[in-house]
Amino acid sequence: MRARMILRRLLWVFPVAFGVVTLTFFMARVFNGDPTELYAPPEATDALRAQIRAQLGLADPLPVQYFHYLAELLRFNLGTSFTTGQSVASDLSDRLPATLELGLVGLTLGIVVGIPLGVIAAVNRERWPDFLVRGATLSGMALPQFWVGLVLIGIFFVNLHLLPGPVGRLPIGVALPPRVTGFLLIDTLLAGEPALWWLSVRQLALPALTLGFSTAAPIARVTRSAMVEAMQSDYIRTAIAMGHGRRVVWFRYSLRNALLPVVTLIGGIAGHIFAGAVLLESIFAWPGLGQYALQAIERSDFAALQGFVIYASLLYVLAFLLVDILYMFIDPRTRA
Amino acid sequence: MSPRDAVGEISPELGAIRQVRRRPKLSWSMRIGGAVLIFYVAVALISLVWTPYDPLTPGIGDGYDAPSAAFLLGTDRLGSDMLSRLMVGARYNLGITLTAVTIALCIGTTIGVIAGYHGGAIDTVVLRAVEIFQAFPGLLFAMLVVQAVGPGIVMLVVQAVGPGIVNVILVLSFVGIPDYLRLARGEIHSRRSWQYAEAARMVGNPPWRVAFRHLLPNSIGPLLAFTSINAAFVALITASLGFLGLGLGPNTPEWGNMIARGQDGVMTGQWWVSFFPGLAILGLTGAFYLLGDAISDLTDPRRRR
Repeated sequence: MRARMILRRLLWVFPVAFGVVTLTFFMARVFNGDPTELYAPPEATDALRAQIRAQLGLADPLPVQYFHYLAELLRFNLGTSFTTGQSVASDLSDRLPATLELGLVGLTLGIVVGIPLGVIAAVNRERWPDFLVRGATLSGMALPQFWVGLVLIGIFFVNLHLLPGPVGRLPIGVALPPRVTGFLLIDTLLAGEPALWWLSVRQLALPALTLGFSTAAPIARVTRSAMVEAMQSDYIRTAIAMGHGRRVVWFRYSLRNALLPVVTLIGGIAGHIFAGAVLLESIFAWPGLGQYALQAIERSDFAALQGFVIYASLLYVLAFLLVDILYMFIDPRTRA
Repeated sequence: MSPRDAVGEISPELGAIRQVRRRPKLSWSMRIGGAVLIFYVAVALISLVWTPYDPLTPGIGDGYDAPSAAFLLGTDRLGSDMLSRLMVGARYNLGITLTAVTIALCIGTTIGVIAGYHGGAIDTVVLRAVEIFQAFPGLLFAMLVVQAVGPGIVMLVVQAVGPGIVNVILVLSFVGIPDYLRLARGEIHSRRSWQYAEAARMVGNPPWRVAFRHLLPNSIGPLLAFTSINAAFVALITASLGFLGLGLGPNTPEWGNMIARGQDGVMTGQWWVSFFPGLAILGLTGAFYLLGDAISDLTDPRRRR
């Protein structure tokens, strides 16, 4: 039964992708109008403009463009970006590792810090550790990520000179190692250059901290409230009455049952993060997907925008699918 | 005399119970959140008649004046007074957030109630559409629409407050609609065959009346709690759009926009230009979160202790 449900969810990816593509296609064109002006020199004649328009594939009527795009999409061709001149698929895969690397490190930080904080708050409910954690999570959720990033830059780069400035994945003028996985933390080691590895770690530190801070906050909050609810339940009272130690009650009984909503939350967060944290990437000049999307919007780069949106929505659906599968391991009720 | 007062007449003890039930103790989160929000509204109103300096005029100070007695929060790169700009900014951030959230609440709830009560094909279509829309990255959608100061939908309003703001408000409310819709739909759907709904139908109420007068008021708690949480989210996106410089004019004293203007200052040590608008945002979104928590504590029996 469970397998069939997962299969159905997987197939649901296709209508979602189709709907999202259609939405983006028409919205981009209706709202942004004709991007020919952006790509034509100001002194261009009408004939040249028409030629550029045709080159950009914008000369046909909208429905024709739309069906042309869909036909290409069925052949897994996402089209060509106006700005980079490369195929959108290769653009996306070029930038994906940067986003994934930052996202994975940030999300791991968020989980590793967030869940223990939530547990600490829950077992000390209505005492000072709880108030501290609640204050911190509130500010973590209420502060704009880009502001946190700027403040961290101000502290660690400008004032303390401990970490490098926001110039991307490596300091300016340092050549990238040969690309194997695209993850700099791995590629530098594969190339046998620990010094380069250390440089990339230092560049990654501030954006990952920022991401970790704003990810840990909601995770800690949900962990706390789920733990509190679990600890008020009858089976916990039974477990305590049976003489189990506090640690066993907290971690084996309460936390395990409290993890369900936390897993759902993490799935949702992951879906957002791996689609590229637009503002974070733009502050730290991080060459990831978020920056690519922002640039595509600013330059009316339709194919790039559509490609990105398809990727992001698929990711979103897959993240929730993954959560469903994880549930089978955490929640025995779903295995029946 | 209302039935409750009548109870008090008959038995003083029951009257006392009534009083306890009707006035639940205000939680700390409710008090703090409410106080902060009232403070922001007050600042926004005061800024209509008085600010220390003119917020839009550059060159009042020298540019990057540190906080001092003359300029309590310093001046920005162009020499505009930060405190004055922050005060006027309350108008923008609070106004945009509240308007967008209200629109989303009204439209989303209405469609959600209809879908949930009616069920059947309407329900399925609406739910599927919502699911597709939710797979679409929200901030991206907002950026896409706001970036193009597109054709104004309601020209009169547009001319009154400027096309940028109207776009921002419309987009932000549109992004929120699916969430309200799902919530209202779920609430109504789960209750439409309860006995009191049956009773309301049996005495001859038309469907819309059962749905909106009998079922909806029972869901007002979760809806309001979510509205408050959503307001925090909308306030953050408002600031994000402002930070990217989308939608509003370049000199608009919107807090996100002010943070962006101070970005260079952060690199050279003039931290205050970006720092204070961030604190202002923290207060606003934090207040909404606290209020949302307090409301759901009040209305959700599982969370009531």
